[in-house]
Amino acid sequence: MRRVAVIGVGVTKFGRHERTSAELFAEAAADALADAEMPAGRVQALYYGNVVGGETEKQLHTGPQAASVLGIPTVPTTRFETACASSHAAFRHAVMEVASGASDVVLVGGAERVLNVPTADSTEYFAYASDASWEQTLGLTFPGVFALVARAHMHKYGTTEAQMAAVAVKNHKHGVLNPKAQFRKEITLETVLSSPKVADPLKLYDCCPFTDGGAALVLASEEVARTARRPIWVLASAAASDWMLLGDKRDLSRVPATERAAAAAYRQAGIGPQDVDVVELHDCFTIAEIVATEGLGLFEPGTGGIAAEKGWTSLGGKIPVNPSGGLKAKGHPIGATGAAQICEVVTQLRGEAGPRQVEGARRGLTHTLGGNTATVLVSLFGRD
Amino acid sequence: MTDSTVTLGRFFEQAREGTLTGIRCGACGALAVPPKELCPACGARRWEPMPLSGEGTIASYTIIRVAPRGHADEAPYAIAAVRLREGVSLLGRVVDVPLDALAIGLPVRFRPILVKERPAIGFGPV
Repeated sequence: MRRVAVIGVGVTKFGRHERTSAELFAEAAADALADAEMPAGRVQALYYGNVVGGETEKQLHTGPQAASVLGIPTVPTTRFETACASSHAAFRHAVMEVASGASDVVLVGGAERVLNVPTADSTEYFAYASDASWEQTLGLTFPGVFALVARAHMHKYGTTEAQMAAVAVKNHKHGVLNPKAQFRKEITLETVLSSPKVADPLKLYDCCPFTDGGAALVLASEEVARTARRPIWVLASAAASDWMLLGDKRDLSRVPATERAAAAAYRQAGIGPQDVDVVELHDCFTIAEIVATEGLGLFEPGTGGIAAEKGWTSLGGKIPVNPSGGLKAKGHPIGATGAAQICEVVTQLRGEAGPRQVEGARRGLTHTLGGNTATVLVSLFGRD
Repeated sequence: MTDSTVTLGRFFEQAREGTLTGIRCGACGALAVPPKELCPACGARRWEPMPLSGEGTIASYTIIRVAPRGHADEAPYAIAAVRLREGVSLLGRVVDVPLDALAIGLPVRFRPILVKERPAIGFGPV
């Protein structure tokens, strides 16, 4: 297999937009191509993530639509849907296309538009990623899924609501430093703890927002990347799945798919969690960040909450997590999220992250979780 | 599919009548919640229906206060993951238990419920 590098990145401002998801993707993709100094004519394939286009925009076949709006209508294009991990799944398959030698230059990205519909509708559409017969019938929501995880984690390890709130406070603090973030405002523990309950024990400020946005990146083979301005190498990209039904999961305080995907990624790259300098992970809810830091091996099981509370995951801490502000403050346009996390880690490893730069970062990790914890992708990146 | 296959439709028909039907692997004895074509433990394709007691304890729970569009008029409502005596777990609505009495480890018993006219899993006090 050939080495693969990310040679260009592009992300739209996250928040509310009056443009279609295809337009948002196209802006990000054109920025990524410009960043890579790569003419669009050299792109050989597009791997695209989009989740609820069928519901919020009455639009299927969003892959070729996105390619057409970008202006590369004839490249082979496939849309991936693994709930919130969609564009990270697209990335992994694109890496394999370049690594295999099938293509030298491939575009990856994703976009989502949800703020054009009322919250009760987007809550329902997101719930479509849980099981229709067993879970949707009960009125289970995504905050509900992670509330079950939170309650189990609190019971098993003594994790507190204040520790979860510390994750939100930290990610909002980071988000202030990111001009693309949806929320650029610091919050206090009290703001989180006194916010309205959404699904006990999760409160409004434990939850990431609904977001419109797009992200894209350019992948290249080693030969092409050698002439690029600042290639960042893909050291590993791994996926894992788990039972669809929450009832079939043995221990709700853990996300086994994170543990399996991380183990596979570390094995591929020949490194361990101690070698990682910066992490962008899937904090769709504050408890999700705590459980992910444990599953990725950054902290022992049961200590993720303590790590957040003590500032070990803050910029300047032992292992900075979500310097972009994470899904919590940067925002979570679900089809774009995996690609946007990769764009952030690439920017960090290039040393171009400005005020949110993790000093001297050489290796980075991205982690994206899909739906009811049934899909997880983990990728590793390095400066050399 | 054989005559003894517990389809999703059949499971919920039987649940509506008050019985939870699990499936037991005829090769390795693993117990599972239907529908499954192959045994995840041994790969065999030889399931036998097995009635479940419906008795268990709450493994985790939440109270949904912001509901999806289709359930907005029902909020707040409790959903729990319940570990049945036989070792399998199911998600269900908890009914007739005060919201502030919910706790991990609380014993509950299956009861058939309808949510928006669709059969669903419910759990009530023992």
